[in-house]
Amino acid sequence: MRYTEFTPYDIVLLLQGLSVTLWLFVASTLIGGALGLGFAVVRYYRVLLLRQLVHGLAELLKNSPVLVQLFLVFFGLPVLMKINLTPSQAALITLSGNTAAFVYVIAVSAIEAISRDQIEAARVFGLTRWTILRRVIAPQALAFAIGPLTGLLVNQLQVTSLISVIGVIDLTKVGHILNLRTLKPFIVWAVVGALYYLTAKAVAYAGSRLERRLRAHTDWKGV
Amino acid sequence: MLSVNGLCKSFGTHKVLDGVNLTLNPGEVVSVLGASGSGKSTLIRCINGLETFEAGAITVDGFDVAKPKELAEARRRSATVFQQFNLYPHMTAVENIALAPVEVLKRPKAEVIAEARALLDRVGLAHRADAYPAQLSGGQRQRVGICRALAMQPRYLLLDEVTSALDPEMTAEVLDILKVLATTGTTMLFVTHEIAFARSISHRIVFLEKGELIADMPSADFFSERGRSLPRVAQFLSKLQGEAL
Repeated sequence: MRYTEFTPYDIVLLLQGLSVTLWLFVASTLIGGALGLGFAVVRYYRVLLLRQLVHGLAELLKNSPVLVQLFLVFFGLPVLMKINLTPSQAALITLSGNTAAFVYVIAVSAIEAISRDQIEAARVFGLTRWTILRRVIAPQALAFAIGPLTGLLVNQLQVTSLISVIGVIDLTKVGHILNLRTLKPFIVWAVVGALYYLTAKAVAYAGSRLERRLRAHTDWKGV
Repeated sequence: MLSVNGLCKSFGTHKVLDGVNLTLNPGEVVSVLGASGSGKSTLIRCINGLETFEAGAITVDGFDVAKPKELAEARRRSATVFQQFNLYPHMTAVENIALAPVEVLKRPKAEVIAEARALLDRVGLAHRADAYPAQLSGGQRQRVGICRALAMQPRYLLLDEVTSALDPEMTAEVLDILKVLATTGTTMLFVTHEIAFARSISHRIVFLEKGELIADMPSADFFSERGRSLPRVAQFLSKLQGEAL
């Protein structure tokens, strides 16, 4: 006979799935964020060749489905490089790359949004390119970028659900498992959806808090 | 000495500066006059290294601004005040002033901040030291801009139409400060449309016409028969007769 009731252990299962999702989300955000910023700095310094390479890579990642990228990494990379990849590793590589591409785009446009005038002033006063980036551009660019970045992260959190198809036991995969056992799709998916929703809201809340702080720093209210 | 020799600069096919020669000696106040588009601002932008030029040479105390290795040293000797202020909007007045002395001159932060506050006090802005540029009026912003330049203790102060973006009242605020600077021996290259004021503070006046420097003479001469003997200068001055010269 098939056991279709929910058990208290299902909560543990859901939380385990959620923690896998969160772990991948946080790790890919950190790695992808650092990479994306690195890409933007390469562009800022107009590094020959590397700049074109970075731009091309970002274009590829932005304009192809994450699921296809995931398959390419999980099934393709081990064959090409003769290495073993666990589903989690493949998921982390793919999500980090994807986040990096979008962080790069946001960072570049935030840097370009800063008026040239003040950068000219900084140059005339003898500040180096690096100091200008660090002291003049970065603080303002961050204030511009934090809104789009929050939007991106909320989206990337949802995108992590794709990794369940290569066998990572994330929140969506746990939903699958529970659904197959209990045959109560409406309840299972509603609960799973609610957990994503709450996490996304937490990310958005943190983002808007940070944005308010960064904007307060540049108080735009008139005289 | 700041010297400009045979400076030529074009934007595309348009010649903006055509063989300009100019020297600025320590202690001098030299005003650059001329109609809009005569190349006055471009001259300043060439001197501070924001524009490259095709021919000629600019040296600041012997350092050639066209040589990347010497540009930093040349820039360290001059400081620019901009028409549009160009303050850093995310920094307070004090932070705007202190940034370059700390980062470029590597001076201790506490000392620089104290000095920045003293400078702001000198221009009557002690009470606005911790305000952001967006919270200041145009005249106040430009006074911060002047303090920012002075904090670098430049040997040459380059002023690029510093009152052009200000209304008359704010213009007066800024000019009052420049007057004090001029009388206390600050070396200034003063690009301006404020003819009457230029006359009152300058040792020399240079006049640019379509990129050519057609007059370089003591202020008193420029506004008397000698200046008026040049047809273009006479024409320029005659338009300003409404103004009390």
